[in-house]
Amino acid sequence: MDVDRVVALVTAGGIELTDRRRNAKGDGWSLSFANGATVEVGDDGSARVAGKGARAVARLLDLPSATRAS
Amino acid sequence: MKRSHGLALFSSTLVLCAAASVPAPAAQPGDPPANIAKIGTVVVIFAENRAFDNLYGHFPGAEGIDQASKESLQQRDRDGSVLSELPPVWDGLTAKGVTPPVTQAMTEHLPNAPFTVNDPKGFNVPLSVATHDLWHRYYQNQMQINGGKNDMFVAWADSGAMPMSNWDASKTDMWAVAQKYVLADHFFMGGFGGSFFNHQWLICACAPYYADADKNPAKPSISVTDDGGTALKLADNSPKSVRDGIPKFVSDGNLTPDFYAVNTMQPPYQPSGNDPAPGGDPLLADPSKPTTLPPQTEPTIGDMLSLKQVSWAWYSGAWQYTLDHGNHTPIPNFQYHHQPFNYYANYAPGTEARREHLRDAGLAGVSFIQAIDDGALPQVSFYKPQGNLNEHSGYADIQAGDRHIADVISHLEKSPQWPHMLVVVAYDENGGIWDHVAPPKGDRWGPGTRIPAIIVSPFAKHGYVDQTPYDTTSILRFITERFELPVLHGIVVRDRAVAAHGEPPLGDLTGGLDLN
Repeated sequence: MDVDRVVALVTAGGIELTDRRRNAKGDGWSLSFANGATVEVGDDGSARVAGKGARAVARLLDLPSATRAS
Repeated sequence: MKRSHGLALFSSTLVLCAAASVPAPAAQPGDPPANIAKIGTVVVIFAENRAFDNLYGHFPGAEGIDQASKESLQQRDRDGSVLSELPPVWDGLTAKGVTPPVTQAMTEHLPNAPFTVNDPKGFNVPLSVATHDLWHRYYQNQMQINGGKNDMFVAWADSGAMPMSNWDASKTDMWAVAQKYVLADHFFMGGFGGSFFNHQWLICACAPYYADADKNPAKPSISVTDDGGTALKLADNSPKSVRDGIPKFVSDGNLTPDFYAVNTMQPPYQPSGNDPAPGGDPLLADPSKPTTLPPQTEPTIGDMLSLKQVSWAWYSGAWQYTLDHGNHTPIPNFQYHHQPFNYYANYAPGTEARREHLRDAGLAGVSFIQAIDDGALPQVSFYKPQGNLNEHSGYADIQAGDRHIADVISHLEKSPQWPHMLVVVAYDENGGIWDHVAPPKGDRWGPGTRIPAIIVSPFAKHGYVDQTPYDTTSILRFITERFELPVLHGIVVRDRAVAAHGEPPLGDLTGGLDLN
């Protein structure tokens, strides 16, 4: 899943993006959202949702929370 | 509907006139309006993310969409040319899970003009349905306002045509409340941008600050602006036309280049979106997280009220539920960044001030309503509805929040404290949605786009549209004058800036009252 696509889908649901930066490994993006969720989006299209608001964000992305998916 | 032509000085003029016929000391400029002490209880209800034209654009007697010029209805592309049509609402108009959905394809080829979401001949989406959220950010709001022309709302949005949406709200409960009391049709959000910033303006009239942000985890969140400092610098790969997609910026962060926090940061104290640090104090948010704002120390209206021993409280829906059980969606969907006092060291966990002033409104405001019914409200109350009842695009609908606030109003009208009460229902900000009236020229921080505000009181001019220019700090002006508080610095700066631009002064809400 593309990082811009992740941002678009989550913010459309009223959950504001609060931080976006390259991850420490340089192989993807780390996103933070206002509800406390974080999303790690790999350059390979993988996505992992965690944090306080993970369930709501995972639902918007059709992903299970705290699990990795492509 | 009657319309006012008074400005902020109107009430002072009344004082002077009264002084001419009554043997009393002459009023001085800056004195509180006459008889303001008749108000003994102030209640501020802060809803979410609606521009004036979005809900009240067709309110009888108000300056709504019908009064807008043709030029102000048209949106322009990023190169300044008039759009031949609106772009579609990318990913569709309705929120995820809504059936039947209004898809992106269904929003193709909309005319370059406002459209009504619940138009039976159009999309016919009811007020009970949540719709696509929109960017509502500090720099984008200034870029969209475009010096008062309001013609770049679509160009600098992330949602295609969505900023041009509005609703026929004439059947809502709060429309009826506005008809019964006072609708302020020139009330502007205190700060540009979003909820985080405008909640700060409600209590502090200030921009929060992140010292040494360039040496902290927040460094990548420092925005890069153009030379004027009021717009974001475009990235080289940003689409040239709105028809080609969402704009891209070099850095669209939470902090200004000089480290003021203008977009959403998390509170340093729980409840916060950021968990405690591993092994750290469970009452705090992890300070090493880039989105955790350090505790703030600017004086707030709460500090001023406490200084003068005026009782007050911030009532937050689902506050204790969230502390005890964590947050849940879609109900109550507590919003961490809608709790402005939770960013301030004076209200840190363990302080007496926190215990006294940051109160749980209960689920669906039940504890707040009980205090209303019991006549137990402090002299000044702020009420923040929980997320599913705040009317925010994306995760909440209009109808649920509107009905909830109207229900609170009905309890207030029956409260033992009602005979001396002033209630202000305001939206925190426009939610990225277009409005056609140019905001007053002020200071660096605002005012931003016009928002709805309703003044409710036994002293309200019933059935009245108040044209007085107000912004969010007008609420603070009233509280400051009524309780003879020291004036917050941001209000002084705002007043000077407005005057320097030759704008009429921002009012203190008494334009909507008859206190004689």
